[in-house]
Amino acid sequence: MDWEEEYNATRSSGSTTLVASSASSGARATDINTRRAPSPDAMSIFDEPAATTPLQQLIRHWMNERHAPTILPAQEQLLGFLLDHIRRQTDTVQALRGDPSTSEEEHIRIVLVQTEVEQVKFIVRSYIRTRLFKIEKFARFICTDEETQRLLTTAERQFAMSHAKNVDRHFNLTVLQSLPPGQAYLDHTHEWEPEMTTRPNRDRAVFAYALRACPPVRLPSGLPLEFKKNQLSVVPYHVVEEFVLRGDIELV
Amino acid sequence: MSDTRQFCDLANQLVIEARRSTQTDNLLKYNDSLVRSIIREQRDLEKAAQQYMVDADMPPPPLIIYQTAIARNKRCLLAYHNHRLERLKDMYWNLGGALPQILNNSETRSKLSPHEVDFLREYNTSVMEFRSEFSYELDITAGIAVPPKDINVSVFVVRDCGVIQTEQGSIDFRKGQRFIVRKADIEHLITQGYLEEVA
Repeated sequence: MDWEEEYNATRSSGSTTLVASSASSGARATDINTRRAPSPDAMSIFDEPAATTPLQQLIRHWMNERHAPTILPAQEQLLGFLLDHIRRQTDTVQALRGDPSTSEEEHIRIVLVQTEVEQVKFIVRSYIRTRLFKIEKFARFICTDEETQRLLTTAERQFAMSHAKNVDRHFNLTVLQSLPPGQAYLDHTHEWEPEMTTRPNRDRAVFAYALRACPPVRLPSGLPLEFKKNQLSVVPYHVVEEFVLRGDIELV
Repeated sequence: MSDTRQFCDLANQLVIEARRSTQTDNLLKYNDSLVRSIIREQRDLEKAAQQYMVDADMPPPPLIIYQTAIARNKRCLLAYHNHRLERLKDMYWNLGGALPQILNNSETRSKLSPHEVDFLREYNTSVMEFRSEFSYELDITAGIAVPPKDINVSVFVVRDCGVIQTEQGSIDFRKGQRFIVRKADIEHLITQGYLEEVA
């Protein structure tokens, strides 16, 4: 029987009927074809990023962190997993290099592994330093804000406190202690002045790319905006903040 | 040209100096004399404002003017110092966290005030502490501007660095020689200027 004809016959039947297994090797393939294709709604469940590797997740978090004006939750588990992986890879590579029985082909593979390890290390490094930069910028704010403190790792919290203390001490020594007592405080601002502590600016515009369809949100002008799947828009950060935290939207 | 100055003129000069520093991408010398004159001005303003410190319903206009000038001076001073701190931090990270290199370079050192040197030392300590968490696997002070394309890089030795341990064994870097080495091993030497990357 012609393979094409068989295929067309089973497609046109449309229901989940098993084709009587013929001797041809095309039988197994046609079984799959007779199963009804899942409806579009059900398909979206199969698009879940649960299948993404830790590296892809880290890349997404890294991009979000670079574009977001606030500090996003620390991905300690993910980082820990990747750092362990890097360590195991480098140890294996070291062992294989020292072992005289590795073949030429293995050596080439080792070079490839090392290239990839370097790239992963670069991304981890950039992620950590982006967070560190934001922490330095908002150090005084973090010391007073409980909610942001929960988003940081212990080491980052400690760094924020010591950095804030360091900067404060420097200002005191250079400027504030020489001023008359009425002016010697850092936080004493009048109503018409901007605050002394930099707060994260949630009104900054970001490019938001929707990975999944999202419920409608309200723009500052009052108009509602609904994100369909794979839609790219420029919005103020606070409009999409919770979607970014949930993973429905990523910043590009 | 009259000799009288407006309030906050000196503070404006400080801010202009900070801007000049950003535009020329250069850290200028710490303007100690200007800072001191501004502080002196603050004290004079405070004394002049004292006489108006009456407890009335509406503060007298001179008091408002003095308070605004005082606040602006303070803010300009803090902005200048903050700006310098930012530039110092940038310099620190560009050199890969090599504090001795900044402090031993007499040209750079002369531009800093002693307080700034203390700040740099403290900052270095907190960064080292933070870095120790990851330093087994990776060095966070390495470069993040350019993603790695190749693991090996061809370098030209500008200054003698002596014998350096690399993955391929120990290599003796002498001035004028060229090597092909693993980038991660010698990156810190490139940032510190001992080696030069060749296209």
